[in-house]
Amino acid sequence: MKTTQTYVLPKSDAVMFFACVGKEMRLIAPTRLFGSDVRFGEVESTKDIVFDYGRDLYPPKRFLLPHHENMFRYSEDGGSIEVSLEAPAQAIIGIRSCDVMAIRFQERFFCNQIVDPYFKPRLDNTVFFSLVCNAPPREECFCICCDSGPYLESDFDVQLTDLGDRFLYEVGSPKGEEATALGSFALREAQSTDLAESHRIQLQADSQFKTVAYLAKAINFISADEVPDDVYEKLGATCFRCGACTNLCPVCTCYTVDDQREKGATFVRRRFWDSCQYSGFTREASGHNPRATPGSRLARRLYHKASYQYIMRDGRHGCVGCGRCVTACLTHLGIPEVVKSIRRAMAEYLSTPEKAVEVK
Amino acid sequence: MSQVLTTCGLCGCGCGVYVESTGGRLAGLCPSEFHPINAGRLCIKGWNAIPSLLGQDRLITPLVRKGDSLEPASWDEALSLTASTLVRLSSEFGPQAIGVIGSSGITNEECYSLAKFARCVLRTTNLDSVSRLYDLSTVTGLLETVGVPASQADIGSVADANAILVIGCNVMEQFPLVGSRIEDAARKGSCVISVDPRDTRLDAHASMVVHLRPGTDIVWLRALLRTVLDRRLYVQTESQIAGLEELKNSLADVDIADFAAKCGVAQDSIVNVAEALSEHSSPIIMFGLGVLQQAASTELVKALANLAMLLGGRVMPLRGQANSQGAADLGLSADLLPGYGLFTDRMAREYWERVWECELPEKPGMPVPKMLEACRSGELKALLVFGDNLALSAPNTTETLASLDEVEFLIVTDMYLTETAVRADVVLPACSFLEKDGTFTNLERRIQRVRKVAPSIGQSRSDLAIIASLASLLGAKMSDDPARVMGEISALVSMYRGVTYQSLDEGWGVPWATDGQRMRLSALPPNGHSEDDPEYPFRLISSRINYPHRTGTVCTRDHVLSREYADPYAELGESDAERLGIKPGSLVRISSRSGSVVRRLMLSSSLPAGCVHVPHYFGGDSPNALASYDCDPMSGVPAYKACAVKIEAVR
Repeated sequence: MKTTQTYVLPKSDAVMFFACVGKEMRLIAPTRLFGSDVRFGEVESTKDIVFDYGRDLYPPKRFLLPHHENMFRYSEDGGSIEVSLEAPAQAIIGIRSCDVMAIRFQERFFCNQIVDPYFKPRLDNTVFFSLVCNAPPREECFCICCDSGPYLESDFDVQLTDLGDRFLYEVGSPKGEEATALGSFALREAQSTDLAESHRIQLQADSQFKTVAYLAKAINFISADEVPDDVYEKLGATCFRCGACTNLCPVCTCYTVDDQREKGATFVRRRFWDSCQYSGFTREASGHNPRATPGSRLARRLYHKASYQYIMRDGRHGCVGCGRCVTACLTHLGIPEVVKSIRRAMAEYLSTPEKAVEVK
Repeated sequence: MSQVLTTCGLCGCGCGVYVESTGGRLAGLCPSEFHPINAGRLCIKGWNAIPSLLGQDRLITPLVRKGDSLEPASWDEALSLTASTLVRLSSEFGPQAIGVIGSSGITNEECYSLAKFARCVLRTTNLDSVSRLYDLSTVTGLLETVGVPASQADIGSVADANAILVIGCNVMEQFPLVGSRIEDAARKGSCVISVDPRDTRLDAHASMVVHLRPGTDIVWLRALLRTVLDRRLYVQTESQIAGLEELKNSLADVDIADFAAKCGVAQDSIVNVAEALSEHSSPIIMFGLGVLQQAASTELVKALANLAMLLGGRVMPLRGQANSQGAADLGLSADLLPGYGLFTDRMAREYWERVWECELPEKPGMPVPKMLEACRSGELKALLVFGDNLALSAPNTTETLASLDEVEFLIVTDMYLTETAVRADVVLPACSFLEKDGTFTNLERRIQRVRKVAPSIGQSRSDLAIIASLASLLGAKMSDDPARVMGEISALVSMYRGVTYQSLDEGWGVPWATDGQRMRLSALPPNGHSEDDPEYPFRLISSRINYPHRTGTVCTRDHVLSREYADPYAELGESDAERLGIKPGSLVRISSRSGSVVRRLMLSSSLPAGCVHVPHYFGGDSPNALASYDCDPMSGVPAYKACAVKIEAVR
């Protein structure tokens, strides 16, 4: 859907504008914490919102799929199940384009076929005010290779572009329209100069990426299952098994559940993020583990991030190029680095006749 | 919803993490992106800290022994029972009949208060930290050599080191935040040398890998030092290094060929290591429990410090507990006063007698292993254990359990009902580091804030509050306010001078300064290594693996961490397993003269013949059971490593 309405929000009015939105819903926005750390959280005063931030390491997906949540309570001696679902109306302000696209991916996972009764109501009650990156906020960013930034042409509710003293304010969905109405008095019509400036910023942002992930070629190799196991094993041997790449991936949806005794006969079913990079994730009750080695687990992660299977099923591959796996990896197994290693290894295999036979 | 920065307490690295809570419930945890230690990264333990620390079986009330069982009791009842029993035992048998053991996972404020409480309120010198069972030889070895009982390098600087030698530490699994920097250094061309009996994950990044026969590290290091001296590979001129002649003389017996054979390495490899370290100047010499828990651990530390000093490098002991450094800094030790005054030093004693307004007897108290023996002999009547699972962390589990059972009055503070706590007469529920304020000092000496991010579970209290209430019942006044205690520490302990919570908040904590140290090379006279025992033909390699921490108490509570390994296992080389006729997957009993553990056997190609690898900490039992109460004579650290063991199938 192409943008239908375009406004300008003067920065001097942004505090007031979002305060008006905040009367109807809770506001989630980036605020400064310690040092240069910026993190999304519930804001009490819209004055605390920082718009000139880089990127939050902790992906905002957690406001829809919490890192740790209680699902329901039940009693050992039968009785009723008490569902604990919190799905307050919320606006996520300042979220980056890549993270919006990641949530759109999660939406297809959680809201098609079997609907997740926790994720769906939260998403239904959330409106995104996404913020265009005037320049890639981090060296690790590569959304440009993943068609998920630095700005969006669709899939947003409201998109803000920093034009210096004002934001270009684009409304992209009915949800965005509703939220806009809460503070419409602060908006004014966009002029052609505003649009031109926004366009200039987009072109400028596009050309500043330092990290590139040549995904297309790698997707071919990975999807066709041509990469020799040896390549994955060599890469996997350096993995520290911390799980950061999946925890911080804004696209990753995997979770596990456990039941904890809360008090007496009452138990609580908890859900929390899990990682395919942990060996226990796939180990079966018999002890057999189809993904027993770190290399095979890395291969699994790559299938999810860069293979046709997901493009066919979900309309896009499972990586939005946010670069968090690059920042958070204790070694060098961020997506661009792995993709590069695979391309290089494949080039070597394919050019060496005696090695080429190993290519599946 | 709130986000609070605190310091992870699951190892000695001290990563900065934000803990997110919503409606009083902890909802998430994420590393700080700009923290100097972790820079947006965490290890598997850190990522899974919340469920580990807030398990469903956290102790929620004090427990008091009534007959054979521990029954819930009020704080008043538990504390007054404790206080009155301590008063009775002290008046009947003297204050020295009381022993106090503190964890090195409690905060600086708690360590300091506990040391003061034991010495001034209980008036016993039988006070020690469980570092005695882990890495205390760091302190004894380094004080006499480099002069600073701590790491000389910081974690961040590892990435820029020209050369790194890692000995006796599974650094990639146990200290991922250090391991990550080693990998960075290797990528920049640093010379990384890995010294371990096994193949480890570090080998992938190492320029040289040295496999020593377990327990021969001191032999190898003496040969290496002799090579450095003979070939004049050291950096300073002779006049600058105090103790050079004594060191040379003490190495007179070294025969490189013979020593290399003893260690099971090629003679050339010793020369190659010496030359590589010298060529890539200023090496960082890292070492962990693999050397710190040997029979000659202090000698080993001195040898490593000698190596660093000769080559113009720095030592970096890798200490595994959140506050090992702080516990020693603040005198939670039988032989040290806060700030490293020796207990045997009259001047140091007098200083603390004056500021604490108490009397300190001349004779230092007993270290942990001696206290446990004294529980058995009846010399100790009461033992207070703050936050450690001695049942599994001390050697020879059978004797240790007998000690814990036999001592007349055992008080344990812990988060969970550990193997130690079940034997106690009074169990006091303690908070995790998520539920209290304070500071930790990490392995690179950085003093960092620990912030309360969650309400206390049940009725649990911080160890600081517990110490303060006990003191008050015993008629003394001690503060339960961590900031006030830090005020006292910073006024009295020189390396913490000027430290306030406010000053710590201005940056990412502060490392205490190491300037003004006096370096001296230490002589290394011949030191026999333990001889083979035909009845126990295998050597034990116990190691710390990726997932668990300490005795497994905390990490086994987490679904994800406890899932990583289905079963406690041991590893053996294929030829050894064949020779013994034991099939992989079967249960084996690994026993020594001190004890035994049962493990599921797996084959491994990363082990030398004649060695069995038993990873630590699955809870329940520990390879520490296989060690005896024989300790390094200088540091009093038990010799857990390289025990002679035998392996039998469990039928």
